[in-house]
Amino acid sequence: MTYLRALRDQRRGIVVLLGWSVLEGVPALLSGRLVGLAVDRGFAAGRPWVGVGWLLVFAAVAVLGGFGLRQVFRRLGAVVEPLRDALVRQVVRGVLHAGSQTRQPDASAVARITRHVEVVRDATAGVLVQARALLVTTAAALIGLAATVSSLAWLVTLPVVAALVLFGLLLPSLARGQRRLVMADEQAASVAGTVFLGVRDVTAVDGAEHALRDVMTQVDRQASATVRLAFATALRGIVIALGGFVPLVLLLLMAPGMVRAGTLTVGEVLGAVVYLSTSVQPALRRLADTTSTIVLRLVVALRRLAEAAPPIDPPTGDAVPEGFEVELDHVTFGWSPTAEPVVRSLDLVLPEGSHLAVVGPSGIGKSTLAGLITGLVEPQAGHVRFGHVPIRSVAPELRHQRIALVPQETYLFTGTIRENLALLAPTASDTALLAAAAAVGATDLITRLGGLSATLGHSAAGLSAGEAQLLSAARVYASTADVVILDEATSALDPAAEALVEQAFATRNGTLIVIAHRLSSALRADQVLVMDGGPPLLGNHQDLLTTSPLYRDLMAAWHEPHNGTATQPPRQPALTAPTSDPEQHR
Amino acid sequence: MVLSGVIRRDLRWLLLALNALPATAAGLLLPTALASAVDMALAGRLDAGTVWWLVGLAGVEVLGDAIGVVLAAAITARGAAWLRHRLTAHLLALGHPARFEAGDAVSRLTGDSAIAGGVAVLAVNLGISVVTAAGAITALALLDWRLAVVFLLSVPLAALLVRSHLRLTAADVATYQEVSGELSARLVDAVGGLRTIAASGRADQEAERVLRPLPRLTAAGVGMWRTQARMIWRAGLLLPLVELAVLTAAGFGVVAGRLSVGDVLATLGYVALGMTVVGQTALLTALQRARASGRRLQEVLETPLPRSEPPASTTTGEIVLTGVTVPDALHDVDLTVAAGTFVAVVGRSGSGKSALASVIGGLTRPSSGDVRRGGSVGYAFERPALVGTTVADAVRYGTEPHRTDVEAACRAAQVHDVVVRLPQGYDTPMAAAPMSGGEAQRLGLARAFVRDPAILVLDDATASLDMVTESTVERAVESALPGRTRVVVTHRAATARRADVVVWLDDGRVRAVGPHSDLWHDDDYRAVFG
Repeated sequence: MTYLRALRDQRRGIVVLLGWSVLEGVPALLSGRLVGLAVDRGFAAGRPWVGVGWLLVFAAVAVLGGFGLRQVFRRLGAVVEPLRDALVRQVVRGVLHAGSQTRQPDASAVARITRHVEVVRDATAGVLVQARALLVTTAAALIGLAATVSSLAWLVTLPVVAALVLFGLLLPSLARGQRRLVMADEQAASVAGTVFLGVRDVTAVDGAEHALRDVMTQVDRQASATVRLAFATALRGIVIALGGFVPLVLLLLMAPGMVRAGTLTVGEVLGAVVYLSTSVQPALRRLADTTSTIVLRLVVALRRLAEAAPPIDPPTGDAVPEGFEVELDHVTFGWSPTAEPVVRSLDLVLPEGSHLAVVGPSGIGKSTLAGLITGLVEPQAGHVRFGHVPIRSVAPELRHQRIALVPQETYLFTGTIRENLALLAPTASDTALLAAAAAVGATDLITRLGGLSATLGHSAAGLSAGEAQLLSAARVYASTADVVILDEATSALDPAAEALVEQAFATRNGTLIVIAHRLSSALRADQVLVMDGGPPLLGNHQDLLTTSPLYRDLMAAWHEPHNGTATQPPRQPALTAPTSDPEQHR
Repeated sequence: MVLSGVIRRDLRWLLLALNALPATAAGLLLPTALASAVDMALAGRLDAGTVWWLVGLAGVEVLGDAIGVVLAAAITARGAAWLRHRLTAHLLALGHPARFEAGDAVSRLTGDSAIAGGVAVLAVNLGISVVTAAGAITALALLDWRLAVVFLLSVPLAALLVRSHLRLTAADVATYQEVSGELSARLVDAVGGLRTIAASGRADQEAERVLRPLPRLTAAGVGMWRTQARMIWRAGLLLPLVELAVLTAAGFGVVAGRLSVGDVLATLGYVALGMTVVGQTALLTALQRARASGRRLQEVLETPLPRSEPPASTTTGEIVLTGVTVPDALHDVDLTVAAGTFVAVVGRSGSGKSALASVIGGLTRPSSGDVRRGGSVGYAFERPALVGTTVADAVRYGTEPHRTDVEAACRAAQVHDVVVRLPQGYDTPMAAAPMSGGEAQRLGLARAFVRDPAILVLDDATASLDMVTESTVERAVESALPGRTRVVVTHRAATARRADVVVWLDDGRVRAVGPHSDLWHDDDYRAVFG
């Protein structure tokens, strides 16, 4: 587990920190004894300067303890901050390695993860400061106490132990309450995140009241979870306070007889009371007030973090492909063994330099095909080969370098346009980047933004979806990839801009696969793959017009305006119902 | 000011303070009670009254503390909830485009509101500390005025310490919060491009890019701990010095017979109580944080709301734009759409199509010009954000239609068959219903249809549907919502052809208005569709 591993990496710092805390425990160990001595040998005996002497020792010991605590806090940063760094690192890597297969975390999930990391940071510091101090102080005080009034040691320990046992019994219900609260927090953040991300839609549908109601339902749930947890906390406080106070009362009840009998001196009684009231009681109180809460928060946050960032499973493989022919051999893939396969028995060979268009209704699994070819998705049956070797056994860095996927959703980050364009070709010169931009028609855009050195803000602020897609296309154009897959990568461009991008890639050396958003893409391709949920059909445009009814329908619907609109009755498009309802094959 | 609002609104902190009074008083009496009990024990006597007094005081303190815990939680929770309500309402009223990023807004809602909501409890706790300290000094004076004098010499030192602390942390705390936000924003960006990152195998490199601000975060964090260490160290020096001084004075009191041995113990107790006010570093840090959070909330709440009058009315179904200008999008657009017309809006990317839809839909106020619109609008987007708990909730969002109306709207949008195949049909939680772009679009259409609007504004809202599905949706709309005015932003010639009239936008201006078949003769017009 990352937390423990990160903690282990900081073990040097922790050992140093614990070493200093021994110093911090010295006052707790000696305070009662020294005050007792000052009174016994000094003030009560009429020798005030002896008393003052013992008090000076007491002060010196306390200064030593304070120095120890200072060192503990100074070192806390050196332990806790690297630990937090390690967790942030782990979470970011975990989220980014999860890829596109799992449900993607949204803005609120990111905020939530950040909060868990902060909780772990604070709670770890808290445990290091408080739980450690608690142990050191209690142990030191109990040792000091036992040395002072050994005959009464059992009186003191028994109630403390009883309280701790009772406290332990309360812990499970406390942990449940804590988790309930955390879940309520997360639910509230998630609902609010959806609303804030969708504020355009909320405004457009006049749903502000509805949104406010939804958020407040979660907020109220959160508030009631807070109060419920507080009741459990209060009960815990009572139990622990009793555990600290009962020994004191017992001591005071037993002492008169023992003082009368001469088995206890004035200084010993005084010392014992000092130990109990200034060391043991405050330590127990801290346990009730904060330490246990901190531990509970730490445990819950760590559990949630582990759920948010699953361990990374790095891809392996060392095969080197020969050339870049893509071959699919009887490939079948479905999202689960029982689900209707998205791709069924697909045979496809794309020699080097091919240009393929994939068409079909929305939601039919065209993107899955992209996942199969790039090796991101493993087929249930059949083989995907790249350069005559199974794609998933190709060395990952080669695979990523030679096959580029441009998805519909763009990835632009805070940084210069140069950094963004050179993402896949870090060594590309400015000339090469600008040439790539010119090829896909992004020159005007880049000029308007202020050239390669201009910076982009978060969430590609200020760019339209189409402009973001243009930059993504230029980025891939500038890469060294032999196979380029455009997965509806031009959906937000107008048809003219789209045609320019596709032609640029078609004339660039290499294989081009266009998962078509518009049918015009099919006309530009050498081969067309029609996916409609049934057996996939492959052919060129002319063949498919005769072999695929779906293709014919799609083309007829699209082609109409090109064939002279005047002759067609305007409200009766030549659309027959498609032979296969796309919904049946989901 | 946000924080004073929290304090004024919910006065139960008075109750918390009232509850704290007996508990604090009992805490202040405990050292003397303990002293007399110890004196009693040292004298070898067992006096029931003395012991009961001690037990009673402890009982009052423990019970008071327990009640205080529950009260404090309730007050903080209510305060946070109130802030969250104000914040959410204001962010929603600010509307579109959002002034605050979603992740940032959520962190203000969850984090800052909780911290600022606890300010009343923090203030009361600080007050209790002050009262305790004052009470402890009074008690010392009652024991022996010299003790109080000696103790009070340390107070200026303590004040100095507290001030330097306040100055030191503010910068680090602010930096820490700012860098945290920057990291989150970077992660959100990267998450949006997960497919690109996965396909290019750049997860590690992109993680490094996201993590670039991390060293600054670390530095700020270490700075915060160092400040705390200095603070703790100074407090750690102060306390034993004060204890030494006061205990020495008490020792001489014992020698002179002014004080008993038990009184020495009481003195120690009061010094500890008196010094708690200095030891409250956590409270001061928390107050510091509450102020920072208060400012962050203030920043949202002080953002002025846009003018929010809806477009002026006209004949039902009619739309009249006169001289409408939207900076960087539309220039002096005049347009009249007769009721019941099917209007296609076409043009190249960035020609102002979405801006026009947004002005008609009421999302954008033009900077100049006049918008008149007859009746309600149903607005659908290319990429709808589906807000709502369940699928049915997402469709009816903001309205209260009958379930059959929701289903009818989904049928018209060709998405009913998809919904009924979900695990719990229309009651499937949105989180458990992952949608493709096309499915989400169709639910977005259903959300526009279910309002039974006079005017439908579809901003490329069928772009992810194949043309067969798109035209089926179109026919379904014609039968389900006959005679409605439709403004349809599109890239598709087929859609434009079916429209009664086409509005052709070029660089934010209306280039031409007319039937598709007339415009089709223009080469520039055909070039729009590729």
